[in-house]
Amino acid sequence: MNYLDLTIKEIHEALVNKKVTPLELVNEAIKRAKEDKCNAFEYIMEKEAIEMAKTLTEPEKDNLLWGIPFAIKDNISTKDVPTCASSDILKDYVPIYNATIIDKLLAKKAIPFAKVTLDELAMGGTGATGHLGKTTNPYNNERMVGGSSCGSAAVTASAIVPFALGSDTGDSIRKPASYAGLVGFKPTWGRISRYGLFPFTPSLDSLGFFTRSVYDSATILNAVAGYDMHDFTSSKEKVDDYTSDLDKSIKGVKIAVIKEILDTISDTNIQKKFQETLKIYQDLGATINYVSMDRHLLKTLFPTYYIISCAEATSNNANLDGVKFGLNLEGDTFNDSLIKTRSKGFSERIKRRFVIGSYSLMAENQNELYLRAIKNRHKIVDEINKILKDNDVIFLPASPSTAPKFDNKVDQLEDEYLIADNYMVIANFAGLPSLTLPVGFIDNLPFGFNLTAGAFKEKKLFNIAKALEDKSGFYNLSIRTKK
Amino acid sequence: MDFEVTIGLEIHVEMKTKTKMFSATPVAFGAEPNTLTSPYDLAFPGTLPLPNKQAVINAIQVSHALHMKIDHELHFDRKNYFYSDLPKGYQITQNRRPIGSDGYLDIEVNRKTNRVEIERLHLEEDTAKQLHFPNYTLIDYNRAGIPLIEIVTRPCIHSSDVAAKYVETIREIVSFLGVSDGKMEEGQLRCDVNISLRKTGDKQYGTKVEVKNINSFNYIKIALEYEINRQKALLEKGEAIVQETRRYDEEHKATQSMRLKTDSVDYKYFPDANIPIIKLSDEFVNNAIKSSKELASAKRSRYQKEFKLNDYDTGIILSNIQIANYFDECAKLSKHYKSIANWIISDILAILNKNALTIDQFEIKPKTLVSLIEEIESGKISNKIGREIFNYMINNHVDIKTAKEKLNITNQQSDDKAIRTLVIEVLDNNAQSIKDYHAGKDRALGFLIGQVMKKSGGKVNPALTSKIMIEELNRRK
Amino acid sequence: MKTVDLKRLQIAANRLCFDMSEEEYQTLLNEFKTVVKQMELIAEDKTIDQYEPMVYPFPCDVTILREDEPIKPSSRDEILKNAKNKLAGQIKVKKVNG
Repeated sequence: MNYLDLTIKEIHEALVNKKVTPLELVNEAIKRAKEDKCNAFEYIMEKEAIEMAKTLTEPEKDNLLWGIPFAIKDNISTKDVPTCASSDILKDYVPIYNATIIDKLLAKKAIPFAKVTLDELAMGGTGATGHLGKTTNPYNNERMVGGSSCGSAAVTASAIVPFALGSDTGDSIRKPASYAGLVGFKPTWGRISRYGLFPFTPSLDSLGFFTRSVYDSATILNAVAGYDMHDFTSSKEKVDDYTSDLDKSIKGVKIAVIKEILDTISDTNIQKKFQETLKIYQDLGATINYVSMDRHLLKTLFPTYYIISCAEATSNNANLDGVKFGLNLEGDTFNDSLIKTRSKGFSERIKRRFVIGSYSLMAENQNELYLRAIKNRHKIVDEINKILKDNDVIFLPASPSTAPKFDNKVDQLEDEYLIADNYMVIANFAGLPSLTLPVGFIDNLPFGFNLTAGAFKEKKLFNIAKALEDKSGFYNLSIRTKK
Repeated sequence: MDFEVTIGLEIHVEMKTKTKMFSATPVAFGAEPNTLTSPYDLAFPGTLPLPNKQAVINAIQVSHALHMKIDHELHFDRKNYFYSDLPKGYQITQNRRPIGSDGYLDIEVNRKTNRVEIERLHLEEDTAKQLHFPNYTLIDYNRAGIPLIEIVTRPCIHSSDVAAKYVETIREIVSFLGVSDGKMEEGQLRCDVNISLRKTGDKQYGTKVEVKNINSFNYIKIALEYEINRQKALLEKGEAIVQETRRYDEEHKATQSMRLKTDSVDYKYFPDANIPIIKLSDEFVNNAIKSSKELASAKRSRYQKEFKLNDYDTGIILSNIQIANYFDECAKLSKHYKSIANWIISDILAILNKNALTIDQFEIKPKTLVSLIEEIESGKISNKIGREIFNYMINNHVDIKTAKEKLNITNQQSDDKAIRTLVIEVLDNNAQSIKDYHAGKDRALGFLIGQVMKKSGGKVNPALTSKIMIEELNRRK
Repeated sequence: MKTVDLKRLQIAANRLCFDMSEEEYQTLLNEFKTVVKQMELIAEDKTIDQYEPMVYPFPCDVTILREDEPIKPSSRDEILKNAKNKLAGQIKVKKVNG
């Protein structure tokens, strides 16, 4: 048993009791990173992390993040450390400033350890589309770990680090968390400053993290939440102590289950586990409310998301022209250079998404595509908020299956795909805090369920999640603890 | 054939705020290239826009001066296009809801008032500055992100005179409000013009041509006249006008085709979610308006009604905000408004012109000028001596006191008794002149006063001397 | 909305300043067909135009603006360090058309 196999809270105790030092943690992390079979790394900050660890000699008793190494999704700006969002278009780009979330973690003396892979520019859900190729699932390298935060999920489930930062635009933290058996959390929109997060779709994007316990997730939120003068959309809502109510009784808590979403899941193991879990909640005194949402509206979740995100992504990535940073291929004229650079820098898949997005924004199409999508978003959000008015959380399986194989073909017009595989985007549409936690295994592959609460109700969300974690026994899951 | 000209104008004004529109990067002119930038200005991934309060205040003030409706909510949109000077690949602007809308400006040309309807005024950010060479282009991002306001008229102007006067009035407004220096030559005020011609009586507008690159006030009328005549000649020959963008070429005093407008560019506007809706309270908007600096039009009526200055003086003082400020400073210290105006117009401006200086660089400050004027007006020194002191101060860079000492000037005798002694002395020696005076020869008075002046070395107050002289002459009837 | 065809997609791509191969356009055309079909689901909803376009996840109006107070700018070396071609403290690019 190595200390890196533990959760943040447990490592912290070991650090305070001087059973282990930050440097030893970093060295072990480096060793593990070099044995990584998931292709999860963009850049291991070997030198930087060792240097920082050496300076950390006096443990801070009340600071749980002191000396804790962590991984960073490579679409988060890190000063003097290459950051390319797993895209060739950002080849050799070295940011000159830190994202606010990085500065806040550095202030806590957590140790940035590595930049990890993602689907190219965070636009994808398979973890297979980054410029380095597939990032695989630590439980089975033939399978996806999911995306776009694939590297973050892989390194946390491999216990290379006890936590990793990710970003979530559709379900990019919460879906991989399900496939990798982790706690994956995204907060309310605006709860964590987005300054330094490479934008995909600003009104849907959230920073968040992967941990191996609910407590750890709440601990990190304590450190990184809050208003930031560099992000006008960051919230001035009071920052709470998110760890303080974790063990409160959930008696009387109202849990909503959306029937139409649950019904589209065909996997009987997942269905069975879901019913068992509902029983746990009931035994703890919670009320389960089956609620209904128009099936037709649910089928529009994915296209709504796709149109909005592709449209805005074209604009958010228009700064990638090779002039100021990143890949620069020369042509005869400026325009030639621009076209050469962008043609080569983006994968074909990204380009196709851009074209779809751009087409949706064109004046002649905007009404039927982009505008219609953001009106429909409004309708969906209204429906969800109605449910959350009478309930504390919405509770559902985070995915209709365990991690799929890479060659898995889905029919994108099937209900199970359109609804069960994509419904978690609801939390992005409405900017709600949402958390996936592990609940079981099928054929040695983990899967998780998801809880989504009202805006700024993180405390309640963690409380309800922790109650389940305590009963289910799926705590501190990784490939090392599993064996 | 008779044609009606229709002109619409889009004016961009670069604001002189301390920082950029969406970043706290300092703004200054003439800095070394790329020394006034921060990660946002070069569109580094992950940076976010932070709207500038002063730029919003400025936009409210200009909107108010243009009699516009002011939106109490700020909404920002993205205008998407690729160009080498546009770091983000989009410009943040206000497409759906401009801060100012539906205003007007009354423009007087040849004693006729023309109402120019102004459709919108919106906030946006400037692009980087490019330096083009035959084989390459250099980019300087100091300008990237400087706040701009764009002011768009309806197609409601029908002569080049009104168009030119309108642009001048906009410049006057922004410079008097202190929002911008409005120098066209330095690109602080840029103007794009849309011109079309139609047969008088036609309902449909003719084909629109856009003229860009007019970079001096002097060229507006010339460029527009050229373009009107060019289009007229084509129409008279029965030829069609091509929809295009043309640039004004100062060397040839002509407009030249830049590019054809095949179809209008689709900027794919959409709302920018990185900036929340910003609600402006009534108090904020009212304070912005209340704190506006005085406009030229308000100054004009004050100068003419309160200060009794004539059209000519007023016009010259208001030709430039710095001169107006200098005048206002003086007028706060002295009520001899006409005299202040005279000094500025006939003395100071001549010197400034000769030395190519602005009034802000002029070494005699309002306080000094006013004390000189006060000495003259109170009769302590003569006008002539006053000008000698003034010139001496400029040539030798000294203050009034030193100038007077060096010029050996003591104040004019205003002491009744001392002057009377001199007058009596002169009268005693000029019996003939006394007779002449009483015989009605006016010249005699002048001669006698001249004698007193001579005796005193020019240091007596002429008005007082004349009064005493007449008294003494009357005694010797 | 204009019907999606190869030519229109090419125009859309070119406006984004990149090229794609013929077969990519074919893939794209197929993807587009799926998206359009999915979007028809929304078009079928006759109530949709009653909803205001949603720009933010929830109302998040603010009343503050940034004070006009300058910060220290980035150093020129730092801000330009990622640019490939530089000359005289400026970024150098190939001849700009027009």
